[in-house]
Amino acid sequence: MNHSSRRKKDISIKIVISLVSTFGIFVFCSILFFVFQNGASLLSWKLISSDYYSTNYDTYYDGEVPSQPFTRPNTLSSDAFFSEKWGIAFIDEVDNEGIAYVQIIYVSEDSPLRILPDKNDSTQEVTIDEYQALEKVIFSNRTIFLSSSGAENAARMFDQSDGILDMLTSTPGKGIRGSIITTLILIGLTLVISLPIGVLTAIYLHEFAPKKWIIISYLRRLIEMLTGIPSIVFGLMGAAVFIPFVSSLTGADGGNLISGSLTLAVIVLPVIISSTEEALKTIPDDYRQASLALGATKTQTTFRVVLKIAIPGILSSVLLSIGRIIGESAALIYAVGTAIKDKIILTERSTSLAVHIWSIMAGESPNFELASAISIIILLVVFVLNIVVKLITHRLISVGREKI
Amino acid sequence: MIIGNTFDIQNLNLFYGAKQALYNIDMKIPKNQVTALIGPSGCGKSTLLRTLNRMNDLVDSCEIKGTIKYDDEEIYAPKYDVISLRTKVGMVFQKPNPFPMSIFDNIAYGPRCQGIKDPKKLQNIVKNALVKAALYDEVEDRLKESAFSLSGGQQQRLCIARTIAMEPEVILMDEPTSALDPIATAKIEELISELKKNYTIVIVTHNMQQAARISDNTAFFLMGKLVEYDKTDILFSSPKQKQTEDYITGRFG
Repeated sequence: MNHSSRRKKDISIKIVISLVSTFGIFVFCSILFFVFQNGASLLSWKLISSDYYSTNYDTYYDGEVPSQPFTRPNTLSSDAFFSEKWGIAFIDEVDNEGIAYVQIIYVSEDSPLRILPDKNDSTQEVTIDEYQALEKVIFSNRTIFLSSSGAENAARMFDQSDGILDMLTSTPGKGIRGSIITTLILIGLTLVISLPIGVLTAIYLHEFAPKKWIIISYLRRLIEMLTGIPSIVFGLMGAAVFIPFVSSLTGADGGNLISGSLTLAVIVLPVIISSTEEALKTIPDDYRQASLALGATKTQTTFRVVLKIAIPGILSSVLLSIGRIIGESAALIYAVGTAIKDKIILTERSTSLAVHIWSIMAGESPNFELASAISIIILLVVFVLNIVVKLITHRLISVGREKI
Repeated sequence: MIIGNTFDIQNLNLFYGAKQALYNIDMKIPKNQVTALIGPSGCGKSTLLRTLNRMNDLVDSCEIKGTIKYDDEEIYAPKYDVISLRTKVGMVFQKPNPFPMSIFDNIAYGPRCQGIKDPKKLQNIVKNALVKAALYDEVEDRLKESAFSLSGGQQQRLCIARTIAMEPEVILMDEPTSALDPIATAKIEELISELKKNYTIVIVTHNMQQAARISDNTAFFLMGKLVEYDKTDILFSSPKQKQTEDYITGRFG
């Protein structure tokens, strides 16, 4: 082959490589863009912090009409509609599922509507406060307000009316606070279970098991194979083994967070063992020999020198595990269940963020925007945990490595 | 003057699997002297050095026949305490291999493993070891810094200090200067001459001038056999074996 044709071949291969990689990056970026475009509008602190289930209040007012009109507070935003007669303000809002509703944004301290009797239980009182949604009002002049009428009408109808026969309000719902907490609990619990077992297993396999034993290499191959098994298989195992096990210990009824964590621990265990062993492999024997030559025992060498050097590798296995735990849905559908919960109890069902998405999309009316918004939050959680682990790694190895 | 022996090696044969690495070695290593082991690559000198503190135990396929006595005790006896042997027989390796810890922690590592926890005591041990390894003046005010911040020569002296901190009787050195520049090498050699007052030193070296400069006795190995073992000045000035003469005059190896 002469010189110029070799150069042409070189250039064409370079072009192919750059085209292929550009295509890959393009696909990746367009997926991200798609998710952000769909989900960004729903992304809010309210979505993250509010409960999934809303509480409904049914109230009425048959007292006196305030004698003095209220003045509109300066702090109220310009798109809010204020009822001077009752001292209450409304605004058009979009809920966590993207549906329009009328939100109470301000109730004056002196307004008679601030504390109202509960219609179903007259001994109870309901505090009407900001962020409640105004669902439906039947006024004493027989006009009816529905949430679809909008905030402007709400303010107008309140001004025209002298009493309220029935008022339905609700706290904001469809939030994912519960699922975020579940996800974090699952990550923590799973790592607490799997990390010690995984690291100690890797140490045994690499440092202590006699090299002559052929069974060890088979075991290693088996563990590597386990990383490729679909997680739904582990989910079945979780349902068949861990749910009855946890139930018998704690009296839990069906899927629960503990059985979910145990299932996830089994899923991430091969990941932790493999990457910890990989980290142990890269540690030069010099360190082990130096330690042994100083009269240290095998365990002292392993835990004071080898493990210390392996920490970055172990922490990267933690990162991989966190990724798997957050992304896991199939196994959790079996092991934890699909019931979205606000109050998270270890021995009860709840959903992780990924299963929350599944629940939303599996329903009768899939909500793509909300699913995208939750996806963005998953990305953010992964991102934040990544940085945290990187910082820990940096801190732990700073003494040893900073000045190489 | 009669000088006692530390190691007494009798009829030692060593195998790596089917391959024999050492043949019928008989050697006595005298106390408080520097004994150099020289020979071409693969002649078994490092292997012999590693049998002295049983570092060859780490090699699964290694099999040893014959006896090695340290202070009249057979070190390959089944019940012999290897850990305590290694605290008495320290080792410095070819490549400087400080732990990824601070300078202080590197030296305190050995004593800590022995269960010494008192900070005052550790500080004393670290200081003494650094002084003896002629490194104290250079690192006095940066003991908390990473050992990797030191130069190669300093790292090797740190490794020697780490070994001294265990207060051993013997220091084995496996080509301790082969990864160092001439100035660092000179410093280590100076240190070795200083250390032999208190310690028995066995050193493997590729550098014949080095052996001639610093050792009292020299053993020449070839193909796993001990060819000649004598006082250094005698071995280098009037070798009895033809092979030794060929090697030290540079005709092969």
